[in-house]
Amino acid sequence: MRSRKLYYVFSLFVLLSMVLSACGGGAAATQAPASSSGGGSGPMADLQAAAKKEGTLTTIALPHDWCNYGAVIDGFKAKYGLQVNELNPDAGSGDEVEAIKANKDNKGPQAPDVIDVGYSFGDSSKTDKLIQPYKVATWDSIPADAKDPEGYWYGDYYGVLAFLVNTDVQSKVPQDWNDLLDPAYKGQIALSGDPRTSNQAIQSVYAAALANGGSLDNAQPGLDFFKKLNDAGNLVPTISNNGLVAKGETPVRITWDYNGLAAIDSFAGNPKATVVVPKTGRFAGVYVQAISAFAPHPNAAKLWMEYLYSDEGQLLWMKGYCHPIREADLRAHNMVPADLSAKLPDVSGAVFPTLDQLNKAKDLITKNWDSAVGADIKAAP
Amino acid sequence: MNRLRKVPFWSWIWFVLGALYFVLPLYATFGFSLEMQRDKLSFLAYQRAFADPEFWKTFGYSNFVAVLTILVSALLSIPTAYWIRLRLPEARRLVEFITLLPFVIPAIILVFGLIRIYSAPVSVPFTQLVLFQPLTNSRVGTTILIVAGYTVLALPYMYRSVDTGLRTIDVATLTEAAQSLGANWSTIMLRVIFPNLRSALLSGALLTFAIVVGEVTLASFLGVPAFGPYLFLLGQHRAYEPAALSFASFILTWIAMGLIQLFTGGQGQAAGAH
Amino acid sequence: MAQNTFSSNARRWLGVLPFFLFAILFLILPSTRLFIGSFTNSQGRFTFDNILQLFQQANILSAYWLSIRISAVTALGGGILGFLLAYSVTIGGLPNSLRSILITFSGVASNFAGVPLAFAFVATLGRTGFITALLKGFGINIYDAGFNLYSFAGLSLTYMYFQFPLMVLIMAPALDGLRKEWREAAQNLGATYSQYWMRVAMPILLPSILGAMILLFGNAFGAYATAYALTGGTLPIVTIQIGAQIRGDVLHNPGLGYAMAIGMVFIMTISLIGYSLLQKRTEKWLK
Repeated sequence: MRSRKLYYVFSLFVLLSMVLSACGGGAAATQAPASSSGGGSGPMADLQAAAKKEGTLTTIALPHDWCNYGAVIDGFKAKYGLQVNELNPDAGSGDEVEAIKANKDNKGPQAPDVIDVGYSFGDSSKTDKLIQPYKVATWDSIPADAKDPEGYWYGDYYGVLAFLVNTDVQSKVPQDWNDLLDPAYKGQIALSGDPRTSNQAIQSVYAAALANGGSLDNAQPGLDFFKKLNDAGNLVPTISNNGLVAKGETPVRITWDYNGLAAIDSFAGNPKATVVVPKTGRFAGVYVQAISAFAPHPNAAKLWMEYLYSDEGQLLWMKGYCHPIREADLRAHNMVPADLSAKLPDVSGAVFPTLDQLNKAKDLITKNWDSAVGADIKAAP
Repeated sequence: MNRLRKVPFWSWIWFVLGALYFVLPLYATFGFSLEMQRDKLSFLAYQRAFADPEFWKTFGYSNFVAVLTILVSALLSIPTAYWIRLRLPEARRLVEFITLLPFVIPAIILVFGLIRIYSAPVSVPFTQLVLFQPLTNSRVGTTILIVAGYTVLALPYMYRSVDTGLRTIDVATLTEAAQSLGANWSTIMLRVIFPNLRSALLSGALLTFAIVVGEVTLASFLGVPAFGPYLFLLGQHRAYEPAALSFASFILTWIAMGLIQLFTGGQGQAAGAH
Repeated sequence: MAQNTFSSNARRWLGVLPFFLFAILFLILPSTRLFIGSFTNSQGRFTFDNILQLFQQANILSAYWLSIRISAVTALGGGILGFLLAYSVTIGGLPNSLRSILITFSGVASNFAGVPLAFAFVATLGRTGFITALLKGFGINIYDAGFNLYSFAGLSLTYMYFQFPLMVLIMAPALDGLRKEWREAAQNLGATYSQYWMRVAMPILLPSILGAMILLFGNAFGAYATAYALTGGTLPIVTIQIGAQIRGDVLHNPGLGYAMAIGMVFIMTISLIGYSLLQKRTEKWLK
């Protein structure tokens, strides 16, 4: 009696959920229109044909609002008629690399074909034999210091650390790192990650060093600066995100300029906000692309790289306020529309660390953050 | 005069305090989610969120997987807890230890482990005969994997609920009585033990359901179209939509729980009493 | 004779075979990397170094202590207040509808964690939270008075959001099991209400309460997302330290991370032993 009723209801529930999940199923398999650049011969056409046979590309950790990846993925799907299987975990570069390792024997949809990781991970992945080399058609226009000479990894875009300011809550907009020490910002400034694990946060400390007497070889002044900031009570010990900025809880957020600009777009005037690239201490952070050595769809992966490094792909990233790695080349050929160019902030004077400098600074910051800043918080009840 | 027949003053105090504690943060989230339009309260954030077909698709999928997980973990926990209580008390500590392991094993290690092991085909040793294709390569296979993974995650809660429930009913006497009336094992389980566990099972089911619908790590690395990764993807860079989504999914999950409870009945009835 | 015992023993263990099989296939085996990795250094060789570092590095030991403290505080606080809530809707005499509401709400709230929970509390008690603002309107500035949401106290308060419901869900069925006849019998024998509770109800409930509390302890002990979202790693609990070693954008020492996880397993084992000892004593009151 009771148990039969239970049985019927459970089956109804299960059926309902299946229907709901199937309803959207049709939409998911959006068969993209036939590729516009079909036909013809040559290596590119062969690559396209091979990729089409594979049919899918598996990406990992590419949020749609990050560098306009949403439009990039859509553009790729539309142009080549492939499907893109997006894995979207809460993943840092370490997780992406770990995902490659775990999926070594896996040809299923869990294995990422391509990764977009922090600068130091390019080299370490190459050493660990997790990636395979590939040189895109536009290889030569990628700056030499942003790629592996053997083609294992290659820089894709960069941004500069900036301040995202909610001007509804804080009308006094800081123009430089040392402005942040002003008592007007008490309890208002936050980083975008944990400086012991997050690229963004570590490089924020590194950037502060540049503005305070440090250099690419000496990141210690950055730690000292944040200690001062924390002692003054200006630093909020939480990880800021756009919700907290909009709420006004952390009206000054230290983040990549492209993230800040994308945030302003999504706010749509509520709240009013602005992005300021600090006058001194301009630090450029580069991310790199690579193809997994165990990619189940290697040709789709290569085609993806071709797309990213084509003018079309690079300009789409630019629409997301990121500086594409081929920017100098694009500008030299007048490929950048004036209105797009006007939207990007002035980042002249931004410095790029070498791999060694970066690793040395990371080491220093991650080891000493606790004692410089964390210690105070630990003492709290 | 029974003291409890008075107005339950203290009960109301605890309840109201509890309600305040729970409702205020939700109210704060809801309030913020209405602020998407400048100077005006509106449901814009919700409209944006619900307009996406992915929302319903992934919510439906997660509900489906949640129901499967509840069934599997109940089927696993009830006989085991019952057997241990009745026949095998020596295994109790070991089983309890195993059910507490999911707390201390990070989900990311679990998911990578599952992928490593089940992405290789199962073949007869020393031959080329393949028995099973890798679980990760098929939709059915990944569903099996994710249900297994979620059952592991929910194990502490389901097992503890079931164990507590069994403790409050006198399992030994009930079993003896049923056996003396000629019942076999399945009758005992289905018609004696199970009905008395209803309220405990409800607790376990609710806990499991919530875990599955909100889970992100396993779902995203196993590549299944679940609700958690969808929420996460949306929440990363927006300001108002995440608040709207978390409030909406809270309410939706609450409704789903209400449905589960409605159809399992057994509220307010003392288990095995009278 | 000996044969009988063996086969009947074997048959007894057969009953838990499905459970163990499942646990091995989907929990133990996938986690082996954890055990192997904690004894491996970055070159892939066997080493005790990782385990040794657990004891040598002061910040790791203090991380464990911090995790234990927050888990114990929220297990106790959550346990007591959760018990009172469960009591109020079961024996406490509140209407049945309130019970349904609380139980279903607890189901959802028990898993409300991570960024959404952190945000909800920031929106309530953060510097710009609405309760903070409300109190300011009455002239009370809690932040000036020393309160800080981004602290141990604030995090504990936030953890309660999933600890209370968990306690409620586990204890409600147990409280249902307290039969009315026992209370009536006690009254007939002249016991007062509090005597009934101290001598009859509590001893019966204690094993369930302890079981629930160890669950709460484990729940808080393994929590990661909420602490990370709210305090950004400034409260270096063990799970965040492990995350820093295994995940993230910086190349760290996964072997050390795995060793720390083994340390957590060890601590859970100790808690389990303590709980078993307590249970053995309290179960003397039951059949």
